[in-house]
Amino acid sequence: MTEIFDDSVLEQVPIPKQYYVEPNQIEIAGLQTAYRRKGPDGGNGEPVLFLHGNNYTRMWLPLYERLAQSVDLIAPEHPGFGETPTPPWPLNFDELVLHYDEFRERLGVDEVHLVGYDLGGWLAAEFASFYPRQVKSLTLITPMGLRLPDHPLIDVFKLPPDGLVQREFNDKSAMDVVTQDPNSFEETVFRYGEMSTFGTLVWAPRYNLALERRLQRLKCPSLVIQAEDDRIIPNQLAERYAEILPNASLTQIPETGHAICIERPEETADAIIKFVTGGSS
Amino acid sequence: MKLKFYAFHLMPYPYIEKEPPAETGEYSTWVTIPNKNFDPVIAHQLYNEYLDQLVAAEHFGFDGIIVNEHHSNAYGTMPSPNIMASHLIARTKNIPVGVVGNALPLHGNPVRVAEEIAQLDCISGGRIISGFVRGIGCEYFNHPIKPSDSIGRMWEAVDLILKAWTEREPFTWQGDHWYIPNVNIWPRPVQQPHPPIWMPGQGSLETIRNCAKYKFTYMQIYSPQWFTKKSVEMLRAEANKCGYEAPRDQFIAAVPTYVAETDEQAHREAKAHMQWLFNTGLDIPDQIFFPKGYMSKASWSGVASAMIKHGVKNPKDLTYSELIDQNYVIVGSPSTVREQIEAYCDDVGAGGLIGAGTPFGPMPNWMAMKNMQIFAEEVMPYFRDADGMPEYMKKDRPAFSTNTQRGKRISGTDKPPLSHVEGLEQPIDHRTAHLPEVIDPSWPKAAE
Repeated sequence: MTEIFDDSVLEQVPIPKQYYVEPNQIEIAGLQTAYRRKGPDGGNGEPVLFLHGNNYTRMWLPLYERLAQSVDLIAPEHPGFGETPTPPWPLNFDELVLHYDEFRERLGVDEVHLVGYDLGGWLAAEFASFYPRQVKSLTLITPMGLRLPDHPLIDVFKLPPDGLVQREFNDKSAMDVVTQDPNSFEETVFRYGEMSTFGTLVWAPRYNLALERRLQRLKCPSLVIQAEDDRIIPNQLAERYAEILPNASLTQIPETGHAICIERPEETADAIIKFVTGGSS
Repeated sequence: MKLKFYAFHLMPYPYIEKEPPAETGEYSTWVTIPNKNFDPVIAHQLYNEYLDQLVAAEHFGFDGIIVNEHHSNAYGTMPSPNIMASHLIARTKNIPVGVVGNALPLHGNPVRVAEEIAQLDCISGGRIISGFVRGIGCEYFNHPIKPSDSIGRMWEAVDLILKAWTEREPFTWQGDHWYIPNVNIWPRPVQQPHPPIWMPGQGSLETIRNCAKYKFTYMQIYSPQWFTKKSVEMLRAEANKCGYEAPRDQFIAAVPTYVAETDEQAHREAKAHMQWLFNTGLDIPDQIFFPKGYMSKASWSGVASAMIKHGVKNPKDLTYSELIDQNYVIVGSPSTVREQIEAYCDDVGAGGLIGAGTPFGPMPNWMAMKNMQIFAEEVMPYFRDADGMPEYMKKDRPAFSTNTQRGKRISGTDKPPLSHVEGLEQPIDHRTAHLPEVIDPSWPKAAE
C-alpha cells in the first residue's frame, strides 16, 4: 500500500461512453450536490424527484429523457455517488433524508412526486415516512429496504467485477450501452468509491425494520414497479411494499431484470407518467 | 547479527474441495467456501497436532509463539485466538505467547479484548504479546461491521484498550463508535504499563505511521523483499518525524522458512506446502479480499496502481520460483537458510522473523517437527549469544509463581486481607477468620 499513484485519479469523474450530460450544482449544507433537471416547455410539469440506485450515475438515461417530455424531472446524485462528493459527515439514511429535504426546499419545490429505484427506492420510502406531507406520490422501482426472512438479498459485494451487471440485466443488449470499460483504471477506482458509499449505507442491516410501521403515515398514492425476473432484489420485496403501503398498486414490466429502468425505459417511464399525471399526459 | 524467531501456525484445514459456489460463480478459500468441507472430527485431531507443534517451540528454543484471528475460511482456523493463547500458556512455562492479533473493529466491545488480554497476561505471569489488527477484508463479510467503519473503529479501540489497561480509576468512554458508561477492567495486565503491542500490516502508510506514533512493533505480512524493505524505510522515516530512531526490534517480517539437510531436499519437501499456503490458502477473489470501503478510495487506488506498476501478483497466482526469487519465503540447507536470513534481515532492517522454521501449509507433523528441530539446532544458534538462550530466559519475570513470594508481597503491604464477620465490629484478617478465638468474643467460656 505504498503511495505510488497519481492523486488526480481520486478527483476525476470518468465520463461514461454514452448519455453523459454535465450536471447542475447546488450547495446543500456545504456539500456541492450534482443534479440534472429537465421538463416539458422549459420546466413546466409535475415535479418528479428521481432517486437513483447503486449504479449508472453521471448519465442522462433514456428513461429520464422520456420522463422529462411529460414531467419536470429532477435527478440528483446522492452524496458519494456520481459527481456529488462523499460528505465529511457520517453517511446514513437519516442524513440523506435531511439532505434531500433541504435540496427540495432549495429548488423551491414544495411537494414532489418521489420516485426511487433500487437503493433509491429504499431512500424514497425513508423520505416519505419522515416527510409524508412533501410527497404527492411515491413510486418504488425494484426497491430494497424491507426484511423478508425467506427471501434474503443476494450479497452484491461478493460478486465478481462484472457479476453485478450480469445479474442486473436479463437483456444483455441494454447492458452494453451503460456499462463502462472494465479495463479503465479511473472507472474502477470511481466505482470502488461508489460501492464503498453503498456499503456504508447498506452493509448491515440491509433493511430498516421501522419502515413498515412508519410508512403507515403516508396519505398519498403509491406505485410499486417490479421486474419480471429480478436476480438482485427478490420480487417479493416489491410485493411486500405494495402490501404495506396505504393506497398502493403493483405493476410488473414484462421481460425485465433488476435493471428495469435501462432495459425497458419507455414502458417504465410511461407507467410513472401515467401514475403521476393521473393519465392526463 | 542477533535476531528473534517466533513460531507461528495458521492452523489451516486442508481437506477441501475447490468448487465455485452458485451465487458468485467464483471459488474462494474464504467466506464462500461451505463448512460442509470441515470435518470437526478430523479437525479435533489436527488442532491438537498443531497445538503440540506450537508447544514444542518452547523446547526447541524459539523466542515466542504466535497465533492469530481469522474467520470463515480454510487458511487459518482460529476465530478466537485468545482461546489458543490460553491453551498455550497452560502448556508452556516461560515462552512469550503472542496474539497477533485480535481484530479490534470486529468486536462489539473492545473492553472485552482488554479484559481477555489482561486475563491471559495475569495467568501467564506476563508472557503475552498483544497484537492489534483490523482483520483482513474478508472478515467483514462475517460481521455486521461496515468495512468503511473499520479504520475508525480500529484506532478508537486501540485508544480505548490502552486507556483501560493503564487507567487506575473507573472512567467513561465517549467515542465516535462506542459509549461505555464505566470502564474499569478487572483483572489488569501484569506487564507494565501494558503488554508489548504488535501490529501486522501490508505496508499501509496509515498503519506504519501509527506504529511509529504509538511505538508499536510493526510486522510485515507475506510480501516480496523489496516491498518489505519499503515498509521499514517508511517506519524509520515516520519514527524520525516522531522524534526517535526506530530500533531494529520494532520491525518484524513474516517469512515462511523451510530448512532440510540439503537445498535440494528442502525444496522437495517444502514446495507443495508453500504453494498451498499462497495458491490455495490465499485463493481469494479481489472483491472478497478487499470489500468496498475496507480501504479508503485513496489507499485502494494506491495499492491497485502499485500492484500494476510493480507487477505484484495476487498470492494465488505466484509460482514457486517467484516465491523463492522474491524472498516471500526462504527454503534451503542450514547454511543457505542462515545466509539468506542474515542477508534478508540486513537488507530490510528487520529485528526478527515470524514463521521461520515453523509449520506452514498442510505439511505433515513429521515435516513440521523436522523443520523446527533443524532450524533450532542449525540456524537459530547462529543469531544468538554464546549461551544460545532466547532473550526472555535472561529477563526477570514480572510475576512470581510461588506462595512464598505471595506471602512476602502481602506482608510487605499495610493491607492484610480483611473480612467482615457477623457479630464483630472490626473486620478481621480472613486467613484466621475460621478460628473461634478470633471470631467469638466469649471464647473459651462458651465452650466450657
